[in-house]
Amino acid sequence: MLAYDVTKNPLNNNEWAFPLAECIHILGFTLSIGTIAIVDLRLLGLGFRGQTAAQLAKAMAPWTLVGLAIMVTSGPIIFSSDPVMYLYNQSFRFKIAALLVAILFNYTIHRKVALSDHPSPALGALVGGLSLALWVSVVAAGLFIAFV
Amino acid sequence: MQISESIQSIGFLTFIRESGLTYPVIMATHLCCIAVFGGMILMTDLRLLGLALKGSSVADVVNELRWWKRIGFVIMVTCGVLLGSSEAVKYSINPFFWAKMTLLALVGVHALIFRPRVYDHPEELDRAPQIPGAAKWAASLSLLLWAGLVIMGRLIGYYEPPRA
Repeated sequence: MLAYDVTKNPLNNNEWAFPLAECIHILGFTLSIGTIAIVDLRLLGLGFRGQTAAQLAKAMAPWTLVGLAIMVTSGPIIFSSDPVMYLYNQSFRFKIAALLVAILFNYTIHRKVALSDHPSPALGALVGGLSLALWVSVVAAGLFIAFV
Repeated sequence: MQISESIQSIGFLTFIRESGLTYPVIMATHLCCIAVFGGMILMTDLRLLGLALKGSSVADVVNELRWWKRIGFVIMVTCGVLLGSSEAVKYSINPFFWAKMTLLALVGVHALIFRPRVYDHPEELDRAPQIPGAAKWAASLSLLLWAGLVIMGRLIGYYEPPRA
């Protein structure tokens, strides 16, 4: 199917390469998701009441972006170790779909609500809750790739 | 070996190990806690180092995130205990598991040393003209310890015992 020999991929030729790529991936998504989650908790009214969601969102944005960059660089590297397996893995497909929705949501609706001056508490809670749920789904589906 | 065998033979631990979905669901919960609450540890450390969230006071960051990190830690450790004890025979001979437990013990030592000096009165850090050395040490060591914990945790899954 692909004119690509996975057995030549460095990830499959060094016993430390694949686990190392995974560790970088985990540390990357910890940074991005952790910083998004802090904004989500503020939107849910569950902390940082001394600051507005907008102040927090602005302070977190660069760190979220750094985390995302690490995550979407290491992810495709991991993928390259066995593309055909991943493409046919149901959990991987779900993960990528959830990831695309989560990123799109984060930089459109989530951003707009977090940066607005006084989002209504109900709208804030809905957006914060949905964001947390989306990112948790991405992580969980990522783990399940190894189990389906 | 015998102790680990009797641990993992406890009824519900055998269930966790042998039922198809329970084990990965617990592991996914463990990993999601790392993402959500581990990120809070990272940001607290980066604030103490003066690298992030400079618009918020140290007191705000430390105090607001404290309870969330505690809740996350409890869920994470509960899941971890279930995962480890249900596979006690494999874990007990896994060097990465013991490395991880050592780092976890060091996290306890870190708390004993730095809680009274740094985390218990973050307001003083805000009043200081610049963030004191003890706080920067606390943050740097915390970053190293937690990154090490995550890495050792992941490596547990890759250990292959030497064939006898």
